[in-house]
Amino acid sequence: MEDHEILLKFQDPASRNLAFNQLVRKYQSKVYWHVRKMVVDHDDADDLTQDVFIKVWKHLSTFRQDAQLFTWIYRIATNECLNFLSSKRRKFLLPLTDVSAELMAKMEADPALGGDAIELKLQQAILRLPDKQRLVFNLRYYDEMPYEQMAEVTGTSVGALKASYHHAVKKVEEYVTRHAAD
Amino acid sequence: MKPPFKLDAHPRRPHPLLSEPPADYFDQLPMRVMARLPRPDAAPGGRWLAWLSPALRTGLASVAVLGGFAASFYLSGPQAAGPAVAANASLDAVPRTELVGYLLTSGARVENTDLAVLAAAHPGLAKGFLQATEAELTDALDAQPSEELLYL
Repeated sequence: MEDHEILLKFQDPASRNLAFNQLVRKYQSKVYWHVRKMVVDHDDADDLTQDVFIKVWKHLSTFRQDAQLFTWIYRIATNECLNFLSSKRRKFLLPLTDVSAELMAKMEADPALGGDAIELKLQQAILRLPDKQRLVFNLRYYDEMPYEQMAEVTGTSVGALKASYHHAVKKVEEYVTRHAAD
Repeated sequence: MKPPFKLDAHPRRPHPLLSEPPADYFDQLPMRVMARLPRPDAAPGGRWLAWLSPALRTGLASVAVLGGFAASFYLSGPQAAGPAVAANASLDAVPRTELVGYLLTSGARVENTDLAVLAAAHPGLAKGFLQATEAELTDALDAQPSEELLYL
C-alpha cells in the first residue's frame, strides 16, 4: 500500500486500524534496525520500536505531508533513540564512555559477530562515536541515506552533516588501524 | 607497518553484525503495537475535547473545578440551616417546665450564668420559667463573682 493511500485510509475512522497496521508492517523492519544500531540490545530496540509506532499513531493525524512519511517516522525514531541514551546516562549518572562500554559489551556478547576481528574493531570504533555523530554515521554508511533526507531527519544542515560524517569516518579508520593487531 | 584501514574497502553491510530478532518477531510486532494503542473515548461526548488545544482544555477544567466549588458552597448554606430549624421546632413542642426540670436534673451543668447570659441576649426569654423581674435578674448578675461576669 502506498503512503498516500495509508494516510487517506487513516483519516477514515472505519479504516484507521487497518491503515495503521499496514503502516507498521511496511516500516517496522527499517525502524527496528535503525533503533537496534543505536541501542544494540534487542529488548531495548523492541521497546523503542513499539514506542515509536505508538507516537506515530498519536501524531499521524497532524502529519502535514510536507515531508515523506518515512522521513517523519525516522525522525521520531531518531529522537526516541537519543532520548533513551541520554536518559540512561542521566539515570545512572554515567559519562559517555560508560554507556559506550556497555553497548560494546552487548555487541561483543552477540554470537553473530563470531570471530571477525576487523568487524569487531569496526563496531567498537563506531560505538565510541558520540551519539549524534554515530547516528549520522549509521544513516549514511549503513542506510546510504541522501544528505538532504538526513537533514530532514536530524534537523541539521547538509554541510554540517557532511562534515560530521567525514570526521566520523576518519575516527573510525584511525581506531581500526591502531587496534587491528590487538 | 600495518596497512591503514579504509572504510570504503571494507565490505558494506545493511546493518552491523548483530543477531537477528526472533524468527516470528516481525509477524507479531504489528499485533503487539496495535494492542498498545490508546483506546478511543468510550463516551462520544468526550471526543470533542480532543479537538481543543491543551491550554483551552486546562482552562475548561479549571472553570469546571471552580464551578463545582461555587455550587457546593451555594447549596450547602440553606441545607445546613435545615436540621437546626427542625430541632428548634421539635423543642418548641416540649413544655418549658419539663425542659427546665431536665436541664436542672440531667447533669447538663446549667449554671446561673448561663441563664443570665441567655436572658441578657434575649430579654423576654427567661420570663416563662424563671418568674423573675428584670431588677431581680440584674441583682443576681451583680451578685455573681467577678470571673463569671467575664462571660457578659
